[in-house]
Amino acid sequence: MNMTRWSALVVGLLVAGVTSACGQLRLGAPERPGQTLTVLLPEDDGDRPGRATVSNPKGTTNLESLNDATVASTNRRPTPAKHLSDAEVHRIFGDALSALPPPAQRFTLYFRFESDELTDDSRSTVPDILQAIKNHPVPELLVVGHTDTTGTSAANFDLGRKRAEMVRGVLIDAGLEGSAIRIISHGETDLLVSTADDTFEPRNRRVDISVR
Amino acid sequence: MNNFRSSCGSRDGLRGGLLWIAAAVLLLTAMPALAQQPAAGRVKVASGAAFIVRGGNAVPVRIGETVYQSDGLRTGADGRIGIMLNDDTRVSLGPSSEVSLDRFAYAPADGQLGFVLRVVRGVAAYVSGRIAKLSPDSVHLETPAAIVGVRGTTLALRVVPE
Repeated sequence: MNMTRWSALVVGLLVAGVTSACGQLRLGAPERPGQTLTVLLPEDDGDRPGRATVSNPKGTTNLESLNDATVASTNRRPTPAKHLSDAEVHRIFGDALSALPPPAQRFTLYFRFESDELTDDSRSTVPDILQAIKNHPVPELLVVGHTDTTGTSAANFDLGRKRAEMVRGVLIDAGLEGSAIRIISHGETDLLVSTADDTFEPRNRRVDISVR
Repeated sequence: MNNFRSSCGSRDGLRGGLLWIAAAVLLLTAMPALAQQPAAGRVKVASGAAFIVRGGNAVPVRIGETVYQSDGLRTGADGRIGIMLNDDTRVSLGPSSEVSLDRFAYAPADGQLGFVLRVVRGVAAYVSGRIAKLSPDSVHLETPAAIVGVRGTTLALRVVPE
């Protein structure tokens, strides 16, 4: 950031401070007709927040830190970013945030060589998957079968499919509706660990499951 | 449509009939765009007065219902809706709110990626999905006062309509 932009930022912050002290642009107070309040919130996975830009023909405000908020009006540039307290976020957005569906969850199960039989480790992961399914309202599952590059690609496509079907069977046995499960095979075309053809690689013999 | 209706009631029944057929053909040619377009996602959460707005009609939302591009979502004073889209984008609405999924394209193999959500009024939350990772510049949240560009993030918006 160069000096001009720094000074613009400082001036911006001062203006924001003054105007908010005057009560004209207090964040979180109901906006006036035509105005939009935008706030940047934490990611569910605890990662750093992303970034957002709020723009209109009069200017742009960048939201870069947690709880950064800005008010945009049709005829004025968006206000400089300002921190909105967690309490205010909860008060204004609590209802909307409580209606967010849980994030998609991903699992990988591994298989024995040239087989649709799960490794022992992966067998013990199955209860976690069933729990994830319980946590999702209207669960949908995408089950993608993969193989290593041992054998022909046609045979591997079939094996990938067999693995995906086997996982579907386990899930249906656990009480899930078959219509909620979509299975596909990527055979040896989507390797987790890239290898040459005809390479024995346990980490590629897998089924990826996405629960959402 | 009123023109069609009045000509149908006129003595020139054949002409009216033809107009109806023409209208039906028009509708049918327009429909596949609606009927054949891939699902964008599903309603996962709904409570209180919660509606899906499709082709100008607001119908009460059912949990599990499919959502398509250009659908609107609307809530009453006690309503909430949460949807999960195919790229794992999530959108939710609080009470007395309205949004419209103006664009949803998630076909990475064909290079078709885009997400435009118009927030008309009320409060909405947005959690970016894979479209925002693969093609951040094609993701926008539009409000009457501003356009919000997104770099992989969770946002909440409150829009007071004019």
